[in-house]
Amino acid sequence: MSRYLSYIAPLLTFAILLILWEFLVILNKIPLYILPAPSDIISSLMLNYLDLFSSAFITLRITLLAFFIASSLAIFLAILFSQSRIVELSIYPIAVIFQVTPVVAIAPLILIWVGFDNAEYAILILATIVAFFPVLANANLGIKSVNKNLHELFSLYGAGRYQRLTKLQIPFALPFILTGMKTSIGLSLIGTVVAEFVAGSGTSTGLAWRIIEAGNRLDIAKLFAALILLVILGIFLFLLISYIEKLILRKWHDSSII
Amino acid sequence: MLILKDIIKNYEVPVLGPIDVEIKSKSFVSIIGASGSGKSTFLRLASGLISQSSGSISYKNNIKPKMGFVFQDSTLLPWRNVIDNVLLPSELTKQNNSESIEKSINWLERVGLKGKENSFPNELSGGQKMRVSIARAMVQGGDLLLLDEPFSALDEVTRRKLEDDLLEIWETNNITVLFVTHSVTQAVYLSQRVIVLSSGPGIILEDLAIEKNLKDDFEETSEFISQVRHLTNILKKEGREL
Repeated sequence: MSRYLSYIAPLLTFAILLILWEFLVILNKIPLYILPAPSDIISSLMLNYLDLFSSAFITLRITLLAFFIASSLAIFLAILFSQSRIVELSIYPIAVIFQVTPVVAIAPLILIWVGFDNAEYAILILATIVAFFPVLANANLGIKSVNKNLHELFSLYGAGRYQRLTKLQIPFALPFILTGMKTSIGLSLIGTVVAEFVAGSGTSTGLAWRIIEAGNRLDIAKLFAALILLVILGIFLFLLISYIEKLILRKWHDSSII
Repeated sequence: MLILKDIIKNYEVPVLGPIDVEIKSKSFVSIIGASGSGKSTFLRLASGLISQSSGSISYKNNIKPKMGFVFQDSTLLPWRNVIDNVLLPSELTKQNNSESIEKSINWLERVGLKGKENSFPNELSGGQKMRVSIARAMVQGGDLLLLDEPFSALDEVTRRKLEDDLLEIWETNNITVLFVTHSVTQAVYLSQRVIVLSSGPGIILEDLAIEKNLKDDFEETSEFISQVRHLTNILKKEGREL
């Protein structure tokens, strides 16, 4: 019962909110350019589906690419940190600097360096910067969290660095890394959208560009339609990583055992 | 088997020593003492996991014996199933072959886990996990088995069963056992010899050869009770002097 309730309750709440929204807009005769009714947004979505879906695909492609680059780089660095304290002390502060610097503030610089003709590369770099840190911080923590007794067990059998890394530290850090990735995938999408906003039209026509375009034309229904696609994209990406996490950890980690 | 001579171990403060002790081959020796007496440090020094601040450790014929270590928690790798956990020492020492697989299966059978080869640690009880840990420690045919309070987190019934299984493993494999425990009764029940360490820095307060009457149920005998009482009094006295 409670399992079904966990699906039904939010869906029902969402449906009630949509109906309320629809009626409030109709009753108060709110103009389309201020707040469109949900039915108007759906109409706009159907009318503009080619534009919107091709833009969503561009945003999705950059998001996934940024996520992949950020995750790979972060895991590689975390492994490097585990092998050399000096490397960690040298590089980690730089990673923190990137983390705390607002992406909007460095976006113009990246755009200038990469060139306005290559706005997509700039967006990719910016999204990668945003998505990078959670994986690095979690992977670093995971590798360092290995139980002291497990390290001693490996020492007892004369395990080398490579054996320790591949048979102990990386598997142990997997749940941490996957948690970082779940945060990172969302940030990757946010980073892509923010970078698209900053890049303006350029050569990239992702969903953020559609939002700007619709806003400029006071086509608020289309703006909402693009927003809905963004939310759906975000949820889809989060569920995708959650599913991968479950596949990897399902047999042995408490978080994935139903 | 093992001679520790004038051993001292300091971290920021002295934790152990000076200790002079010889562990004879094929003996079962328990080490007891209050928390912080350096029992676990003693075991790690004997295994070579840590090195002493001063003194020397030597082995019979100057050859370091093959060792198995059983920790307080089972230290199983949760992402590996039971058989792969038992195979870990063979993998790390690059001796992973069909013989080691056969040995692992045999050891799992010996510790009563036949049929659990493909189970993951989270599917096992605390006692079963500890059995896997013992199988892993024994699979490479070690001469010296070191156990650091291995049964302290188990319920009474499981603990008793594992104690008897450990005795059986010791007797049938001609190995030397160094067993760290908090429990005086457990130490007297299992061992041929009990070493009592003082509160930190741990020095040897008592080195008692246990007299066992194997004809009767040992725990019911007056020898058992008097030896437990004797060791308990030493620990109580030590506690009062702290």
